[in-house]
Amino acid sequence: MSAPLRRSFADRADLVAYVREQFPEAAARDATVSPIRGGQRAARERLARLNPVRYAATRNALDGAVTGLSPYLRHGVIGLAEVRDAALAAVRRAADAGKLINELGWRDYWQRVYRQIGRGIWRDREPLKTGWPASAYAAALPDDVAQGTTGLACIDAFSQQLRDTGYLHNHARLWLAAYLVHWRRVRWQAGARWFLEHLLDGDPASNNLSWQWVASSFSSKPYWFDRDNLERLSGGRFCRGCPRAGDCPFAGDRAVLYRRLFPQLPPEAPR
Amino acid sequence: MTPTVVWVHGDCLAPDGPALRAFPAAPAVFVWDDALLRRRLSLKRIVFIYECLLELPVTIVRGSVAAEVAAFAAAHGARRVATSDSVSPGFAAICRRLAATLTVEVLAPPPFIPPDVPLDLRRFSRYWQQAGPLALQPTPPDDA
Repeated sequence: MSAPLRRSFADRADLVAYVREQFPEAAARDATVSPIRGGQRAARERLARLNPVRYAATRNALDGAVTGLSPYLRHGVIGLAEVRDAALAAVRRAADAGKLINELGWRDYWQRVYRQIGRGIWRDREPLKTGWPASAYAAALPDDVAQGTTGLACIDAFSQQLRDTGYLHNHARLWLAAYLVHWRRVRWQAGARWFLEHLLDGDPASNNLSWQWVASSFSSKPYWFDRDNLERLSGGRFCRGCPRAGDCPFAGDRAVLYRRLFPQLPPEAPR
Repeated sequence: MTPTVVWVHGDCLAPDGPALRAFPAAPAVFVWDDALLRRRLSLKRIVFIYECLLELPVTIVRGSVAAEVAAFAAAHGARRVATSDSVSPGFAAICRRLAATLTVEVLAPPPFIPPDVPLDLRRFSRYWQQAGPLALQPTPPDDA
């Protein structure tokens, strides 16, 4: 048996220094450490603050009352049943916890699909519905996205936050994924690998199958967005002062945008 | 009782996880998987997982998972390894390798949806039509 690793540390800095020394390959790539702490104590502190009603009302906004529980759920530090029970205990009527429990359901669903298809999560579940052949998509993650130097304030901030903290709000993930797949026409697998490296909650099932949902290989149509959508849910924080506000690739009439992204598809049904 | 060790893995890092709860006195081990580390796991993730491990009564080693767990069991004279369930194909492969020399007991965490309910997995909407009403029920006391 290999020699055991240390278990006793003076403080977090001591632990981080030891991990950098023990895992030099990872430290050489990127020595950043997230401010988010591991462990069940940290998870239970978040659980104690659970507010399912505010969650349901505000979860789509970047500063909404999201739970931040995903890294702990992913690593089984706490379970879906425990979070569900805490949500039910925090409301008067079970229906008030419905939205939060529905989102827990997504994790349960992806896990079940993973058990069924295993490594198949890395392959397109179905053909893409974008009108583009699979060969139209680049295999590699573009450097400017990986480094956060596209000049698009939102995209660069999401890239930076992913690398600095290992966490992104659900909508930041969706926008970043849609930008990569539909605007830059990059294969979803390249983005999925990048997310899995950095996200503290990086789970092959939730991650890859959500990328496939955005790409349209596991949904009936591609997920895309426009500037109004992003500006509203981010409180305008990126668009103010964005160097590319004048040539924002997300701005403009939705029908025109849709035609530019998916020229082979029939016009989208009006919403 | 069969001498037992607990194998803790990255899909179940709860101090009250099913395997640790079923065998509270058994020696437990976690293995940093060399194969996984080669596939670009960021330092952020390593530190997060390490912090989770420090709350668990486990010996932490690094290497090839099945070989290290088997060696840990041998060092403790154990013939059985208990662990918590995971859906990952890598987990299933390690369990198959362990089963060549040890009895492997896989314990399930409290279920989100009662087990053995057949569910249509073609799309989330179909799944949720069946699972949603069940998911809104609290965990029965026996399963908690």
